[in-house]
Amino acid sequence: MAAAGLYRTPAVAALGVRGRMALAVEILLDYAPSWRLLRSGDLPAMVRASRSVRRVAPQPAGAEAHELAVRLGAVVGRLLAILPTDSRCLIRSLVLTRMLSRRSLPSVLVIGVQPGPSFAAHAWVEHEGRPVLPKGPFARLLEL
Amino acid sequence: MSADPITSPSLMQMRAQVPDHVVHREFAEETVVLNLKTGYYHGLNLVGGRMLETLGSSPTVAAAAQSLAAEFEQPLALIEADLSEFCQALVERELLALVPAA
Repeated sequence: MAAAGLYRTPAVAALGVRGRMALAVEILLDYAPSWRLLRSGDLPAMVRASRSVRRVAPQPAGAEAHELAVRLGAVVGRLLAILPTDSRCLIRSLVLTRMLSRRSLPSVLVIGVQPGPSFAAHAWVEHEGRPVLPKGPFARLLEL
Repeated sequence: MSADPITSPSLMQMRAQVPDHVVHREFAEETVVLNLKTGYYHGLNLVGGRMLETLGSSPTVAAAAQSLAAEFEQPLALIEADLSEFCQALVERELLALVPAA
């Protein structure tokens, strides 16, 4: 199965065309349940559910693990941005959380805010304490 | 049939608790409060933020009112009225729980 090979591959860049296609399909398949979760409004429940996916690979080692997390974050961001889907930060973060959990990569979903008259909130994902989705100028409010 | 409104005297004898599903952080100009159950953000000005912090660390709402009256050098009755209104607004938004004081 192409997908099984994908999970054993340390870096997305090393994937062939079939591997990239499989990754795109995986993102789209993860998008639907993530979008449904968004409707609940319950942030901790959303993250718990996103982490409850079946793990299909052991955790990659050290730098390789972080490199994979960064590359998956970039692919999720790019793909959801060009597709006619909801590409807001929270759904991007939920999709990526599912994908990282599937690969046994621990992650933290961070909610940040920009206080003041032009209040804004933002969500991103971190792996090993470093953002793997754009963090922006937001102050941390909550880690899930 | 709606529930009885919380009257100020009984409210004052209760203890205010920030529920587990509420996260708040104080910033320079405001306190941001997030209700994790609803996903809604709320902003409190400096006085509101101070009220929330004092309520969370006081044994009763009345004790919080006394502390705030001393801090802001305002009449106790005025602070009690403001704090009562503030508590009810937060309770309506599920940002605060009022429980019997121990």
